[in-house]
Amino acid sequence: MRRFLSILSATAFSAVFSATLLPGAALAGEASVPVLVPLTGFLSLEGTSQRNGAVLALKDAPAGVAVRSEVIDTGTSPEAAVTALERAAGGKVTAVAASMLGTQMLAMLPLAQDYGIPLVTVSGTASITEQNNPWVFRFFPGDAVTKEAHARYVTEELGKKRPAVIYQTTAYGQSGKAHLEQAFKTLGVEPVFEEGVDPAAKDLLPVLTKALAAKPDVLVLHLHSGPTALFIRQAAANGVAVPIVAGSAMHQPSTAALLEPAELKGVCAETAASPISGGSPEMEAFTAAYRAAFNAEPDAFALGQYDSIRMVLAAVQGGADSAEAVRKALSGGTHQGLAMTYKSDGKGNMAHSAVIVCYDGASRVPSITKRYDNLTGVVTGMVK
Amino acid sequence: MVAALLAYALLYASPYGLRVLTVAGVYALAAIGFQIVFGLGGALSLAHGAFFGLGAYATGILGSQWGWGFAATFPVSLLVPLLLALLVGLPVLRLESHYFALATLGIAQVVHLLAVNSPALTGGANGLPGVPGIVLFGWAVPRGLPLAAVVWGFVALGGLLAWRLARGRWGRALTLVRDDPLAAGTLGLDVGGLRLAAFALSAVYAGAAGALAVHTQRVVSPEVLEFPVMVSVLTIAVVGGRGRVAGAILGAVLLLHLPEWFRFLERSYLIVYGVALLATIVLAPHGLTGLLDRLFPARPAPLPKPEAPSGLAIANGPLLRVEGLTKGFGGVRAVDGVSLTLKAGTITGLIGPNGSGKTTLVNLISGLETPDGGRVLMGSADLAGQRPDRIARAGIARTFQAVSLPEGASVLAAVAAARLERDGSIAQAEAHALWALERLGAADLAAKPCAGLPAALRRRVELARALARQPAVLLLDEPAAGLTDGEKAELAGHLRAIAATGTALLVVEHDMGFLLPLAGHVLCLDQGRPLYEGPPEGVRSDPAVVAAYLGEGAR
Repeated sequence: MRRFLSILSATAFSAVFSATLLPGAALAGEASVPVLVPLTGFLSLEGTSQRNGAVLALKDAPAGVAVRSEVIDTGTSPEAAVTALERAAGGKVTAVAASMLGTQMLAMLPLAQDYGIPLVTVSGTASITEQNNPWVFRFFPGDAVTKEAHARYVTEELGKKRPAVIYQTTAYGQSGKAHLEQAFKTLGVEPVFEEGVDPAAKDLLPVLTKALAAKPDVLVLHLHSGPTALFIRQAAANGVAVPIVAGSAMHQPSTAALLEPAELKGVCAETAASPISGGSPEMEAFTAAYRAAFNAEPDAFALGQYDSIRMVLAAVQGGADSAEAVRKALSGGTHQGLAMTYKSDGKGNMAHSAVIVCYDGASRVPSITKRYDNLTGVVTGMVK
Repeated sequence: MVAALLAYALLYASPYGLRVLTVAGVYALAAIGFQIVFGLGGALSLAHGAFFGLGAYATGILGSQWGWGFAATFPVSLLVPLLLALLVGLPVLRLESHYFALATLGIAQVVHLLAVNSPALTGGANGLPGVPGIVLFGWAVPRGLPLAAVVWGFVALGGLLAWRLARGRWGRALTLVRDDPLAAGTLGLDVGGLRLAAFALSAVYAGAAGALAVHTQRVVSPEVLEFPVMVSVLTIAVVGGRGRVAGAILGAVLLLHLPEWFRFLERSYLIVYGVALLATIVLAPHGLTGLLDRLFPARPAPLPKPEAPSGLAIANGPLLRVEGLTKGFGGVRAVDGVSLTLKAGTITGLIGPNGSGKTTLVNLISGLETPDGGRVLMGSADLAGQRPDRIARAGIARTFQAVSLPEGASVLAAVAAARLERDGSIAQAEAHALWALERLGAADLAAKPCAGLPAALRRRVELARALARQPAVLLLDEPAAGLTDGEKAELAGHLRAIAATGTALLVVEHDMGFLLPLAGHVLCLDQGRPLYEGPPEGVRSDPAVVAAYLGEGAR
């Protein structure tokens, strides 16, 4: 019931918000930014973060920018995403906060190009910025970036040379595994174990046992939220001493909430950002505002989407009065966001930084252990 | 309905509305195919989503990776699911109800796993972007109204074909296979062949829909193979009206638009959507088309003129010889070396205590059970172990101890099912069926539904159905059970009349008062073995029959 009420209140908030014209001394511009994200299905947690980040940014629009928006659930099918985009394209659109699901993005790209609508997303997977489509902007480091940080932390900081890689048999998992493989290869490290796990698997002890049999010196995970928590719980329950460096799903507060702090001791994870870890007054203000608005903890997806919409709105404030003008501003501009500085690499990849967070075993709030900036996805360093 | 859709598409629909309409068309086509295998054939194929996905992947791979055009990819998208359906259909269609559903679900899972884990071919979990649009005769069909028109053009073609099939002999036969596969076989229908054809044809529809789906979204990914696609198609079929082409279209249009109407509720729309679906199913348990039928009942079609089937031959001499027939179930010998001869124009009584093997013997002769040994000879042909439909075609018809008639059919349609394999049209089959009903004085029942008929009339209708086969040999399993004395007398008259035309009758019965005056010859079984064989007059005086079956009080 609490969940239902929470959904209803968020819906009501959104409905009110969508009709709001934010006042300003003088109207610098109008922005219509539909939010098309997966609110149902296996990505509902992450999609809700995306939605909340976008909604918060639109609510805090810069002075003089009037905002219109509606939130549409895309589910997890490409078909529903295209339909949602077609629906949104019925009116004047400045930009779209688009789904983080790679297959949905791939389906939306041709339509976005036809209509000339910039898609701003936090999708880190799939080759969405390799389709020669000038209308897509990724505000979350792609796997090429995050997996470089992931592999470098494992090899350069921890000095591990026998990683066991456990990934998900989904687009997210397969993409991450491919980039990890490449990054480790460049660093001169060969995984001693690699195995894909179905996201529906209810027991990960078999794969953990198999991985340990290969005598790894580190367990490298690239799993979704639920499986990440399950793996770490089972590893803790079985007294596994091999360190775990997980994928970005681990940094999500909703993942940590599934575990006891003691189970998290020593676990690290890569991510684009960790808002709840603080780091600056602006970040703490964002986290406080997020908690107040949604009664939830923000994660990197929320922050990435927040930053992306802020950049769109800044462009509008700066005079971008059409979708094409916004596209140009996103393509050529630089934006100092809360998570990092965003600038397109010419293909729409805006995010080039990643961080490693680690848990101390006393709380579910991780600390930022290592920051990697200006990553290109091409690993040049050699293992120590 | 077609006019309303057309008017909406041409006059009111926005690009978004046309997009939803286009996707509804894709699902309508898939659901029309599902109506064939599930609605008409009664087989809950959970592989339908996999066939949809296979069609999608065939188009996606060939279009985006090999650069093939629509003219080449579309036929391949029909062919690939068809071949898989034929390959897997033979083993899985032998399974019963839920086992069949589970097996087909397994097929879908395997196909999905293959797609996800073959990234070199399928793009893996990411799928393949860059699928080209539809190009027809050099014309690249643009999004919006033209694409919607093309998709709905396929729906119209597919719908028309399915509608004609459903209303024709094939559809009627498939419906009987759904309602009573045992009876269907004994009426000369090739149950396995019909099921396989329905399964394969439904796969072709699903493949076509999958291909069109990929052309509308320009990317193919494993989502097209996932269970939600299957659930959507199943829901469309049930909500629209099982087995009906119009149901598939209505269901698809409603179910694809319903979530869109509630999108503003964000994720809460699922609650409203679920409630709306539940309300539809509660208010219209037979689907939207069923509700429309109830609100606006169709005028009953006029009855055909009764017509005697041609070639009714009166044979002489022995028609059926059973020699040393045996059948065991585990350690029990249900039928143990039984022999008998049925001669033209005679009535043979088959009696014995419960469990003596009477019904098993009838099942062995009619092909519902396979004998362990012995022969069933019609002329020189040994029918032992052959399929029921082949035995039925050889001239053997039967009725069942528990009368089974398709509840949703009219009496005329139920009896006409016996003629589907022989007659060239439904009209001809119904004319012959009415002749059979008339012979048994039941023509006035023709327009009535089978559901709700009293037991005596149900037995009469079943006998008419068997009679409509014009059998040389008619096997009746307890035809007088549950009848009043008057009804029994009437039945006896009918059976004598049937025998008078040359048909050989084997009547299983417990009521000696009914059977002994009727039969010219009696065989009594006990524990699968013949206990007595001879004239009916000798039954009551035979000490073995009295001891094993009739009891001392019967003398």
